[in-house]
Amino acid sequence: MAALGLDDANLLERDLKRQRSSQLFSVRLLICALISIGVVIGIIGTILVKGVPAINWEFLSHAPAEGMSAGGIWPMIRGSILLMAGTLLITPAVGILGGIWLAEYAGNGRLPQVVRACISTLAATPSIIYGLFGLAIFVLKWKLGTSLVAGWLTLSLMSIPVVMLTTERAIRSVPPTFLEGAVSLGLSKWQALRRAVLPSAVPGIITGLVLAAGRAVGEAPPILLTAGLYFSTEKLTLDFDTLSKPVANLPYHLAEGYRQGGVIPEKIIWGTCLTLMMFVLLINLGAIIVRSRQRAKQRW
Amino acid sequence: MERAVAAAAVLVAVSILGLGFYLAMESRFAFDRKFGFGFRVAAQTGDTAPLDPVGMDPNASLLASNLEGAEGVDEKEDGIFAPTLEELSGVSGTATGTLLVDDPKNFKGTLFRDDWRLNKSAGEGTTMLFCAYATPEYKERAIRIAWEPDASFDPKLSPHKLTLRLVRAPDGVTLDPISVDLSTNPKGEIKVPTWIAKSDDQRANGYLFALEAEPQTNNFFATLGAFFRTSWDPTLPYPRFGLLPLLLGTLLITLIGLAIAVPLGAGTSVWLSEVASPKVREILKPVIELLASVPTVVLGYFGLMLVAPAMVGVFGSALRMESGRNLLTAGIMMGVLILPTIISVAEDALRSMPNPLRDGAAALGMTKSEEISKVLLPAARTGLVAAIMLGFARAIGETMIVWILSGGTATMPQGRLSDIGQPTRGIPDTIGIEMGNVEFEMPHYGHLFLLGLILFLFTIAINMLGHYYGRRRQWQH
Repeated sequence: MAALGLDDANLLERDLKRQRSSQLFSVRLLICALISIGVVIGIIGTILVKGVPAINWEFLSHAPAEGMSAGGIWPMIRGSILLMAGTLLITPAVGILGGIWLAEYAGNGRLPQVVRACISTLAATPSIIYGLFGLAIFVLKWKLGTSLVAGWLTLSLMSIPVVMLTTERAIRSVPPTFLEGAVSLGLSKWQALRRAVLPSAVPGIITGLVLAAGRAVGEAPPILLTAGLYFSTEKLTLDFDTLSKPVANLPYHLAEGYRQGGVIPEKIIWGTCLTLMMFVLLINLGAIIVRSRQRAKQRW
Repeated sequence: MERAVAAAAVLVAVSILGLGFYLAMESRFAFDRKFGFGFRVAAQTGDTAPLDPVGMDPNASLLASNLEGAEGVDEKEDGIFAPTLEELSGVSGTATGTLLVDDPKNFKGTLFRDDWRLNKSAGEGTTMLFCAYATPEYKERAIRIAWEPDASFDPKLSPHKLTLRLVRAPDGVTLDPISVDLSTNPKGEIKVPTWIAKSDDQRANGYLFALEAEPQTNNFFATLGAFFRTSWDPTLPYPRFGLLPLLLGTLLITLIGLAIAVPLGAGTSVWLSEVASPKVREILKPVIELLASVPTVVLGYFGLMLVAPAMVGVFGSALRMESGRNLLTAGIMMGVLILPTIISVAEDALRSMPNPLRDGAAALGMTKSEEISKVLLPAARTGLVAAIMLGFARAIGETMIVWILSGGTATMPQGRLSDIGQPTRGIPDTIGIEMGNVEFEMPHYGHLFLLGLILFLFTIAINMLGHYYGRRRQWQH
């Protein structure tokens, strides 16, 4: 009995130890979480706090003046919008169709598997690689020069794999019974896809597109090599000339501003950072809203 | 319409092939590279201390002190030839050699002015000649022949075997053959007996030295060999395209980033998935993911203006930092960049673990920490590895953070702790920075594409690893 009692005491003690170490573990987890959240809020908050004083209507609507030390950043905002618009024109055509092919036509053979692996590799390829490719093909080989068009093509190329993968996922998340039911009613496969499957997948597809567009706007490296211009004070003319000229835009402006070193005053830099960040965050916020609405409406 | 779908797929397939193909295609320009070599060789008086840097005897008592007679020899067409003082000493202080004939021993003809500097493709050899003699005024018994490499030229890195050889001694002088391997003796001197040219005609018969560059390999392998070296500086007169400091810079920054983001991200994702209430999770996870969409150039500026000065303040003296832009700062911001990626993917992996695992652990009387560390984490291992690999892939390709925060000097780490306080440079930012002022379709341009190819290969390797790992997981379950 005595021995048993001793064991009991040991067990109790061990239990206590385990409980205590479990509590310690939870505290550590909480500290990790607090640091992570602190980093996120710290960074976004700092940029907000430092950037907001620089922002006013004039800052957003005027061209830089007095060698960057005054005026606004409108030409850069305009350029970023232009780049995004072109990318959104080119990307969906290929990206969504490719995604449909992956989800519904490719099957699971060896070749489609290889293609799928390639596409996910492309989706994870660093943006500077796309910049190099755009430079070699669009700028030099096709002789488009450093231009808006070259930038569109490069950014589209970068976005297409991402859009393909998200489209595939969106379509696959629609229950196969939708397609089977429609086909059993006598529709062809394409008709069934278009009428029964795609409408349910649209929110997912749009989310993917928007996320890709947000990435395209924020990435500096591809633009650096294919379409960038430090700053511009020109009025925008909407003709073919614009397409073949480089375009000022927010990320390139910041990158080049760093390269020139100390030309842009700190206040304007914070303002530009904030503008670019909000630009991308608002786009992503759109994606988040679309996604949560889709979740609310989901019928399966 | 189905045709359009197939066409889109084909287009994407073509672009995949195209991407790799063109990176490789454009890097072919790297192999047009020429390899320069440059030496100063000079004849000096035998008794004075050697001149540093190697130059000609400034008093010109040696060699063509009869300047008047020697000047304009080049223009004479009657076959008398001798280098002028300017030719031998070089106005700029560089010794002058003479590029010549196939068979230097029986060499007759006119000397051509040339520097002992040449740019040759690695497969081509060449011989340059150097003529030395003294004038009657010269009283010393020896002439010193001194040589040293040009600034920034390293004969060890040359794909040529460089030899300084005595081709011909003057009539009446017997001398053992002299042959100096310049890669092992890049700087040095030899003494030869004085030989005096008494007339213009005799000048042609002085000592004749040759700098011979023998090809050791072809241009392809030489370029490739030079690419896997430890110094990157394309702006030097003898440019260096060594990949290793850039690769190490990228990997070290990535490593520091992972060392910060992995523990922090793992803890946070476990907390979000296992401890936090669903409501808290629904709010916090999107907030953390918000950070992933902050453009990296903005993160770079944030680091530059706030983190870098703080780093100098905290570690400045301990790590002997000269500026806040260094490996450590870049690594920390890299950690911040990949933190949300790691949290998001790891949390998804943990959430996807079925509840019976948790219930089973609880039924066995496990505490929460035992449940997590002994059941959930091992079960979710593949997902966690995927999270780390995604973070890794994101970090090695990141351009702007490294560009802004690394300090921009390509240095080899010395293996000391203070290395992390030194400026560095990575592969992607080097491409971004240098592509802006490079001549298109020239060797430097080609080398930047080679860097891109290396980066692309890394991406492919990581993805294949992920694929393989994912597949193995399918077999296990």
